[in-house]
Amino acid sequence: MYAVRNIRLCTKDCLCLYVCPTGATDTETGQIDRSKCISGCRLCVDACPSHAISLVPESYPPQQEKKQTVLAAMRKRSASKSAQEQAFALLEQTAPNEPARRLAKAMRCSCRLMAEDLLRESGYMLPQSENVQTLLKSELENIKDNDFPRDAAKRLLELLKQ
Amino acid sequence: MAKYVCPICGYVYDEAAGRPEDGIAPGTPWQALSEDWVCPLCGAPKSVFEGQSKPEVKSTPASGVMEPQEEPLRELSVGELAALCTNLAKGCEKQYRAEEAELFMQLAAYYEKRIPKGEARDFTQLLTLIDQELNNEYPAAKEAATANRDRGSLRALVWGEKVSRILTSLLGKFDKQGDALLNGTNIYVCEICGFVYVGNEPPEICPVCKVPNLKISMIAKEAV
Repeated sequence: MYAVRNIRLCTKDCLCLYVCPTGATDTETGQIDRSKCISGCRLCVDACPSHAISLVPESYPPQQEKKQTVLAAMRKRSASKSAQEQAFALLEQTAPNEPARRLAKAMRCSCRLMAEDLLRESGYMLPQSENVQTLLKSELENIKDNDFPRDAAKRLLELLKQ
Repeated sequence: MAKYVCPICGYVYDEAAGRPEDGIAPGTPWQALSEDWVCPLCGAPKSVFEGQSKPEVKSTPASGVMEPQEEPLRELSVGELAALCTNLAKGCEKQYRAEEAELFMQLAAYYEKRIPKGEARDFTQLLTLIDQELNNEYPAAKEAATANRDRGSLRALVWGEKVSRILTSLLGKFDKQGDALLNGTNIYVCEICGFVYVGNEPPEICPVCKVPNLKISMIAKEAV
């Protein structure tokens, strides 16, 4: 468990700088230097008056198993939300007036968010999960297209390995 | 005196209390509210409100009763793969994994470019489509999630259903009012659940997922 700082909450009280035994919290970007952070130390977490620092785990438990019938139902909804997203995207480009295009854009975003949420709950919540790794491997194996960002997929497999 | 509940955000209209801040005197019966009255919190139309005494929708039969034939899982569409990758990028951001987030965005961009051009539909057709989804598919999916005690899926389905209902309500208004719906006002989208709100200021918290409004963003007007 290493410390991370939420810049949005940080009120620059600097108590993390006073308590950190290694200087990991003192960086120009506001991010805590993970290479110096002592796993599980949490001195900065407890000292921070604005609750801007928390601990992020290094590894996660296996994800909850999903029943096939529920997955099938969820996939239908995500496919349909994704199709609605595309239809709104088309309207966003073709509607004759600004208000209609703005409405289409809002609904396009909304449908995307619903699709994302449905997929997330269909076994793809955690980037480090087995399902995500299996998907990346299968895409690497099956997509022959030269434009497929193979290096990105390979690097992700390296980085997400638990 | 009866009470009526907004199924989207949970706001209760109490006939006895009225809503004096909006000029509705205490004791005003539900029937006396005009048909275009909307939920003061989330903008849901009067027609979706439910009487509070109304019994809960019949709960699902116990699991096993309706064990449907195992459907093989359909492959994810290109559009779904794009959405999956943007969502995983968000998941990485939450873990402060900037490099991974960026890599997932590269994958998302790849899929995004390859989404086949779908069927063109106008606003009214989309209204019908989402309405059908609300009447048939959402209840069936919720039933499957309930029967399998899958709380996470049920949560996503309930939020999606509420947001979809808001979309149909706005599309219905757009059908009647046209561009006037958005003239001189703003439209907002909740970045967490997709809730859409038309008004001058966003609500304090999202009526669907209850996130504070720093996560509710305005869709900017096009520069003239």
